[in-house]
Amino acid sequence: MKHLSDQELMRIVQDGNLTPAGEIFDRYSARIYNFAYRFLKSGEAAEDATQEVFVKMIRYAKQFHGDAKLSTWLFSITANHCRDQLRKADNRTKESEETLLTLPATGDAPDRAMEKKQNQIRVQKALELLTPEQREAIILSRYQGLSYAEIAQIAGCSEGAVKTRVFRAMETLKKALAGDAGGERCLTAM
Amino acid sequence: MSDCNVIQERMPQLLIEALNGSDREDSHQHIELCAICREEWLELRAAWAELGELPEVPVPPMMRSRFLERIGQTPSRVIPFRRPEWPRWAAQAAAVALLVGGSFWTGRTLAPATITPSAGVAQATEAPYRITGSRVIPASSLSREIEGTPRIDNVRYVPDGNGGIRLAFNLTSEVTVTGNAGDESLATLMAYVLESRENPDQSRSATIQYIRDNWSGGGKASPEIARALATVLRSDSNEGVRLKALDALRSLPHQATPDAQTALIEALKNDPNPAVRLKAVEALAEMATAGTPLDPSMVDTLREKADQGDENLYVRVKAAEALSQIDL
Repeated sequence: MKHLSDQELMRIVQDGNLTPAGEIFDRYSARIYNFAYRFLKSGEAAEDATQEVFVKMIRYAKQFHGDAKLSTWLFSITANHCRDQLRKADNRTKESEETLLTLPATGDAPDRAMEKKQNQIRVQKALELLTPEQREAIILSRYQGLSYAEIAQIAGCSEGAVKTRVFRAMETLKKALAGDAGGERCLTAM
Repeated sequence: MSDCNVIQERMPQLLIEALNGSDREDSHQHIELCAICREEWLELRAAWAELGELPEVPVPPMMRSRFLERIGQTPSRVIPFRRPEWPRWAAQAAAVALLVGGSFWTGRTLAPATITPSAGVAQATEAPYRITGSRVIPASSLSREIEGTPRIDNVRYVPDGNGGIRLAFNLTSEVTVTGNAGDESLATLMAYVLESRENPDQSRSATIQYIRDNWSGGGKASPEIARALATVLRSDSNEGVRLKALDALRSLPHQATPDAQTALIEALKNDPNPAVRLKAVEALAEMATAGTPLDPSMVDTLREKADQGDENLYVRVKAAEALSQIDL
């Protein structure tokens, strides 16, 4: 299976043979999981989201057209799922604390590890200042390396709107992350 | 719009090198000459670089097998934590007899009802039985003797918007038991939900949340629920669910049971996630300061953690704090 392209794997799935599902999962689960993790701010919610995305990929395989990139299609499904989850109000503030606690441990010396962890918390807090649309755009651009055209396709908006979202997001992040004092501002603004 | 505004709007694209050749060239030239834009550019670049501090999060190890199982790509079912000692048909028959008997005893009429499980739960759990109908049973009419009966493997949590709880399972018919935290007969069924890995994480997580919200502190929680939470803490692959189980365990009046204390010590020793270990330290410290009789290995484990060079710094500090609070 490893030598087949995404499109070839999906054609097999479209014919009702689910054997390539594991290979597709291996190719994209880390990216999907990390996108959902940053978007939803919770490991548990990200795991559920990733499961749902791949189950939907199987269920709606016939809707995938070979002219699009599989990654873009999967990110679209993930973004839709995450937006739905964010609309369900109850787990927002609670889960953000959980995310801070569950940031992966680093293998550094304690003082360096603490500094690194503090930086990670600062960045995570800064990302939480963004609107969901801005956060989605920044995560896809900064962490997934997608182009504005791809992000526009995933977010269901124009490229111009993506530019605006990223610009505004960066303005917010820049202020929140500017220096140590900026970090304090960011934390106290919560 | 001034040149500066145009250039500053382009900067995010400049960062990811998404501008065409001439725009890129113009922008860099402007930044070279304009002090305001140069400062803006440096700050933006610093913020962009700092965003890279967030590490990639590893995919939980069980996720792949769960996905493949959901779409029927693995032949074997997940093995439940406790196997029924009797053959499955005998277990089902016994459970049906108890349910029907309990209902008959109270003289209630069981009206057929439409069950609408949540989408996630319904899709995730395929009933291995032929469903011939559905019934809703109030927990108050359920025989308490169901406790200790053979396990029903497919009990699942169904969200109830009215503050109550609904637990559903399939035997020869779809059965939904409704009730609230005061119904002790629900304890066994809730423990089944927690221990069944076939339940989606959301279902187990929602059940734990319900326990925390309704059964903590008031002396109502059963030892069976405490045991089930301890099992979740020991073995669930989802760190979020383990954290919730730990919090719930901490809030139960049965937190002082040896099983809960042992599970917390094991979590502190072995859990791969530092957040879980950190909360385990806090819970053990609470137990100690509340005067709970201490397992000697607890103090040893706290000492070990406080001194362990490669342990997470927060965990080490918390363990040292906990030791200072314990009257040795």
